[in-house]
Amino acid sequence: MKAKSTLLALGASALIALASTASAADWKPDGPLTIQIGFGAGGSTDTMGRVLAKSMEDATGWSIVVENKPGGGGVAMFTGLSQRPANGKTIGMGVSIPVLVQLVNRADQLPFTVDSFDYLGTVAKAELALVASKDAPFDDLESMVAYAKQEGSLPVATMAPPQVLMMDQTKAKTGAEFSLVNADGGAEVLKLILGGQVLAGFASGEHFQYLEAGTMKVIAGANQSRLSYAPDSKTFIESGIEAYVDPVFFLAMRGGTDPEAVAAISAAMDEAIKAPEFAKIVQNAVQGDPINMGREGTKKMMVDGLANAKVLFAK
Amino acid sequence: MVGLSDRISGTFFLILGLTMYLYVNPNYIESVDGGSIAPRTFPNIISLIIAVCGGVLLFKPTSQKTPDLRSVGITAFYVLLLVIGLFAMSKYGFEYVAPVLALAIMLAIGERRPLWLTFGTVGIPLLIWFLVSVVLGRALP
Amino acid sequence: MVDLTTILAGFADAFTLYNLTFVLLGVVLGQFVGAVPGIGPIMAMAIAIPFTFGLDTLPAIAFLVGVNKGGLVGGAVPAILMNTPGTPDAAATALDGHPLAKQGKPLKATKMALFSSVTGDTFSDIVLITVSAPLAILALRMGPIEIVALMIFAFSILTGLIGNSLTKGIIAAALGLLVACIGQDPENYTPRLIFGYWDLFDGLPLPSVAIGMLAISEMLRRMSIAHGGKMKSAIVDMDTGNPDDKRVTFAEYWSCRYTLVRGATIGTILGALPGIGSTAAAFMSYAMAKGASKDPASFGKGNLHGVAASESANSAVVGANLIPLLTLGIPGSVGAALIISAFMIHGIQPGPLLFEQQGRLVYGLFGAMIMANFVNLWVGQIGLRFWVKVVSAPESIIFASALLLCIVGVSMATSGLFGVAIMLIFAVIGYVMSSFGYSLVIFIIAFFLGPRFEKSIAQSLALTNGDLTLMLKSPVAVALLVMSVLSFFWFMRKNAQEN
Repeated sequence: MKAKSTLLALGASALIALASTASAADWKPDGPLTIQIGFGAGGSTDTMGRVLAKSMEDATGWSIVVENKPGGGGVAMFTGLSQRPANGKTIGMGVSIPVLVQLVNRADQLPFTVDSFDYLGTVAKAELALVASKDAPFDDLESMVAYAKQEGSLPVATMAPPQVLMMDQTKAKTGAEFSLVNADGGAEVLKLILGGQVLAGFASGEHFQYLEAGTMKVIAGANQSRLSYAPDSKTFIESGIEAYVDPVFFLAMRGGTDPEAVAAISAAMDEAIKAPEFAKIVQNAVQGDPINMGREGTKKMMVDGLANAKVLFAK
Repeated sequence: MVGLSDRISGTFFLILGLTMYLYVNPNYIESVDGGSIAPRTFPNIISLIIAVCGGVLLFKPTSQKTPDLRSVGITAFYVLLLVIGLFAMSKYGFEYVAPVLALAIMLAIGERRPLWLTFGTVGIPLLIWFLVSVVLGRALP
Repeated sequence: MVDLTTILAGFADAFTLYNLTFVLLGVVLGQFVGAVPGIGPIMAMAIAIPFTFGLDTLPAIAFLVGVNKGGLVGGAVPAILMNTPGTPDAAATALDGHPLAKQGKPLKATKMALFSSVTGDTFSDIVLITVSAPLAILALRMGPIEIVALMIFAFSILTGLIGNSLTKGIIAAALGLLVACIGQDPENYTPRLIFGYWDLFDGLPLPSVAIGMLAISEMLRRMSIAHGGKMKSAIVDMDTGNPDDKRVTFAEYWSCRYTLVRGATIGTILGALPGIGSTAAAFMSYAMAKGASKDPASFGKGNLHGVAASESANSAVVGANLIPLLTLGIPGSVGAALIISAFMIHGIQPGPLLFEQQGRLVYGLFGAMIMANFVNLWVGQIGLRFWVKVVSAPESIIFASALLLCIVGVSMATSGLFGVAIMLIFAVIGYVMSSFGYSLVIFIIAFFLGPRFEKSIAQSLALTNGDLTLMLKSPVAVALLVMSVLSFFWFMRKNAQEN
């Protein structure tokens, strides 16, 4: 068995050596590729990753195994990925913000930086909104701040550190008081809003049906640009709070991977993202179209994102 | 001696609680500004509860019997077997280690019948491989 | 809200041979995989989801419902036959189920579990189908403050399980809470006690802790007893000549009716409230059944009521988890989150418009659930005989294969050998704790509830601006706190009487 696999590996590396003169389209993985998803089974990242893997398989005929490596919003997975050999077999899928947050706050505890990876591309951008029940006595950030001042304090549900910081900046800028209730994900934020325990909260897609049903409204967009589905709502930036978060779903491999492999996998991924079945899943998960920024664009997104996160965390 | 068992475990928990409170929690939990409950608050309260209860047990033990040393020793042997097995699995993979591990466990328990030994060494790993890799399409460790 | 034609059309969609086939396949897979030690019902669901990619929506959901419900029945099997529960909620089933099996009545015990599970499941399905919307609104009113009070109430009821030493019970619970502190702290999102292992950032993996503590530590103990001795079967299905020892008579089932209804009610209530879960439900139901019994000393020694209480409650949770899921789009458990992802793969977003936009599909799902309950009963009758046969093999081979399966199962559930290593560590902790007389189930429940408890306290503090006395403004919270105090002292007196 052992000898056989060694032979296979030798043969395969010889093939790779031969193929390296050919174009990227000719590159083929010697064995199954693995996509490691930095989140647990069942979430929107997991769903998108699995469907992406399936459309890549269908398009290329490669065999792709999908694994979940949850922990720290992808930090555990990227930590593991940065320690693996750069053999072009393992791809990581995660979301930019949680990784950037830890890179800003705990760089000394992490074995990787933004430069440790070869970026393959992005899948989608999550749009983050501050939402409230339709009966809330405010419609935008300004009137919400005014209401908070009038009431003395206003309960707001958050689900991640950047949102806490955005609300802290709003406090600092306007002098309004907010009690921040930390929830376990968007679904719990909705529960708190619907139950009347908080008056507003952050959500990244879980609220779409409520918008459609007219029982909730968008107070402000938390991304850099306005929300695609609520173009009339101002962003935090437009309301005078210089803060935003742009969570992007992206794929990367260990830095130093054979450029042929990176090019071929990135091309296959780009093809798969265009598949209509994948667009449907993305539409369901983030209410927007799939976005692929390409290899260079993804790298730029991470570098710029790190700079923005440093500003947000005042580091 | 009545109460020895609880005195041993009570002492352990007294020390554990105090170590957590005085050393581990301050060193391995960050402190932050803001937030309605500090990261250390909850672990600290729990550590103190453990220490206090450990102390109570030290002075008011129940009639719990001390564990039988022989069976503890045998268990330690099986744990060691599993540790070695896991370590080997991380190096060589499940396919190669599982039959050996199964055989070792069966022999240690005292199984000598060749038919059962063969079934455990060959049949069971094969069944697991079939179930996991073929039927469920998942990777073995 | 939904008109009758849609409801009927939905049910008509469900009751076809094609869908029945998928329900049957799902139930068989769920019961089988759920019963394999180390894999369990949640894993069964996670594994099954990719298989539904290519199916139409209704058969796909019907299949998953089958797996989910089959897994509930399957999960009780290793708990009863081997005393090695694969999930913490089945640990309550093992308390009386395993003694029954050891008395030579493995079939009776597993069948009682099957009937109780299906009873609890059907009860919560009926509640789901008839009154889910108003119940979901009611559940929303339970804010963080009420949840804290409810969890204190749950802890107070668990006093009934502590046994003879309150101090040691508290230590076991505190240790569970302490271990639950490992990972991201729920208020400030800082890494806590992870010692540089980022894999621990989301906390210790539950399957590793549960299977290590409950299943592996028990196997280690049993192996040390069997060591070097004469080879015997793991469990003997004794032929006493009395056919009643192999089945559950109607009189026996009927005598458990209050226990079953109580369990199903607890399960349904906790299931409708996201985040508390089936483990607490199973143990609360068990403790209450023991408290209500005229002969509490018989619990833990093979009382059918113990099996009935636990299985009716933990199965009812799963149906009731769909109440917030279908009406509000809020998943109440890992299993429910998996169902949401299956919906999303098929382009359906659960939420307040689901009944309006997909009414026919929802009633199709209800139809599939009803079918699955019947199929579960029928498949269970055959499947249980199979498992009882399996465990009549020699102990040596049962332990060797169960250990291998736990290693494989946990490594699948936690994606790697890191999770298996944690499992082994907790097996040792569990073995030592039980050797010194500390309750493992108390530890596990506390571990399970810990993060939610701390988070709810943090949320309550934020909402009351740090003044927890404002809790007293919530009538529900006050009622729950009063009940907590009463039940604590009542159970303490009961414990004292028993000793």
